[in-house]
Amino acid sequence: MSLIAQLLIYGVLAAAIFSLVAVGFYLIFSIVRFFHFAHAAVFTCGAYSVFLLNARCGLPLFFAILVAVVLCSLLGCAMYLAVYRPLRRKGTSSLILLLASLGLYAVFQNLISLAFGDDTKTIRTGAVTEGMNLLGARITSIQVTIVCFSIALVVGVWIFLKRTKIGMVMRAVADDLELARVSGIDSDRIILWTFAISSALAGIAGILVAFDTDMTPTMGLNVLLMGVVAVIIGGSGSIPGVALGALFLGLAQHLGVWGISSQWQDAIAFIILLAFLLVRPEGVLGKRVTKATV
Amino acid sequence: MEYLLHILILIGIYVILSTSLNLIVGYTGLLSIAHAAFYGIGAYIAALMALKLHSPFLVNLICAIILSALFGALVGIPSLRIRDDYFVIATFAFQVITFSVLNNWVSFTGGPMGLPGIPQPVIWGLEISSPIGFLILVGIFCTLTLWVTRRIVQSPFGRVLKAVREDEVFAQAAGKNVAAYKVLVFVIGAGMAAVAGAIYAHYISFIDPTSFTVMESIFIISIVIIGGSGSLWGPVVGAVVLVVLPELLRFIGLPSAVAANLRQIIYGGLLVAFMMWRPQGFLGEYAFQGKETRE
Repeated sequence: MSLIAQLLIYGVLAAAIFSLVAVGFYLIFSIVRFFHFAHAAVFTCGAYSVFLLNARCGLPLFFAILVAVVLCSLLGCAMYLAVYRPLRRKGTSSLILLLASLGLYAVFQNLISLAFGDDTKTIRTGAVTEGMNLLGARITSIQVTIVCFSIALVVGVWIFLKRTKIGMVMRAVADDLELARVSGIDSDRIILWTFAISSALAGIAGILVAFDTDMTPTMGLNVLLMGVVAVIIGGSGSIPGVALGALFLGLAQHLGVWGISSQWQDAIAFIILLAFLLVRPEGVLGKRVTKATV
Repeated sequence: MEYLLHILILIGIYVILSTSLNLIVGYTGLLSIAHAAFYGIGAYIAALMALKLHSPFLVNLICAIILSALFGALVGIPSLRIRDDYFVIATFAFQVITFSVLNNWVSFTGGPMGLPGIPQPVIWGLEISSPIGFLILVGIFCTLTLWVTRRIVQSPFGRVLKAVREDEVFAQAAGKNVAAYKVLVFVIGAGMAAVAGAIYAHYISFIDPTSFTVMESIFIISIVIIGGSGSLWGPVVGAVVLVVLPELLRFIGLPSAVAANLRQIIYGGLLVAFMMWRPQGFLGEYAFQGKETRE
């Protein structure tokens, strides 16, 4: 019993992180229609910024986190302004944008490696605690924080999209860019907003992961890939879909390794992905659309 | 001299890898980030056969090619149903799963410890042990790969591949079995990558999963794109540039850890720069102008 509870907790915890990254990735994808792989570098940047500001420069933790999230946000916007916007102005295909984002990822991941080294860095303070008891399983306070933060932020973004002016405009741009532009919407500003919000979410996710399991320069790519998988199996159509996809993926990953080594989690995730792409590419909640072939 | 030969051998291996990927990416227009997986499968099959069965090099090579080609078909089949970015993710998935298997199936692949002590190849009683010997071996297979690729792309088969790249629906309307062509090009590309893998395993005599990561796949695709996708000599130029350029860093006396990062920064930066200003690469003819994004 306690084993199942423990696996469930790990599954939910993984889902919390995946959904933060996935929601950001999905927001960007829904508006600019390409896979922003460098999102993974933004995620890592969040963790390392806190490390730099707090552990190296001695800023108070709260302030360091705040500055780090702003930095991540700016990094995302800078990527858009420096690389993606010029490319989109030329009307290039989504594959070129995807390749450029892979290049950006390689650059930033290695810049972090150069600056901080490849070894594990920590921003945890104090001794490792055993955590609280929940149905015979263990959960630490930071893990509770991660889940709460994640739920709050995902619901927050959902409400933001539904209720605020900017959120509605973002949905309009995602729905039909031409129409939005004809209606006098400054699409460039909206895309910048999207990058800013999404990158901040990625940064927060990175910081939360770092508090739970420390950081390495390559921590981002795997989490991002899981986020992409969550978006695809969730149906890439709505925030609840993405969150549901993340939850499904997190639970499947952790319950799926019951009895076998936990190192096979990546393989499980990607086998689920392949199955979805082949059998139900529109995801769990998505609507079946006729495929455009040209 | 040893060092120079080593660089030349590496260039040769990457020429084979990027030429075979060019068939898939450059000529057929299917962007795949799974090439390091085929490379790894080839290397591991060859190494395991040499270590466990003590079979001769050419037998290992042929088995590596066949098995890798089978996996190639496996990756090619999803391309019939999913396209563009989603297909890239599917190849990504295959890459990650392959790495995961190599890394975790410890009893079979040695896991993170890798496979040490792979013997020198013996071809018809001739043992290849010197760097010169390996250079000749790589040279022969490089030439063979380029010759086969040239034959393929100049043949009617190759013209259909380009037609699939330019306009899939049209190719289908013209009565071509697009599905078969797509799978077949993956079979050929994966088989060629296995050749590079087998040579690499025997040359270095030690392999571990870290040589066959996502980053390695991105490196191979950078070679194709920077050299020029869809041109025969593009990947050759790309391989020379991308292997030699980071080596120059050694001469300004950087420690190897820094050089490894700088190497990836260089090819990442080049990839971004080429995408922005010259998406067809140095020599290429194909610039991924399939589906246009809005704006």
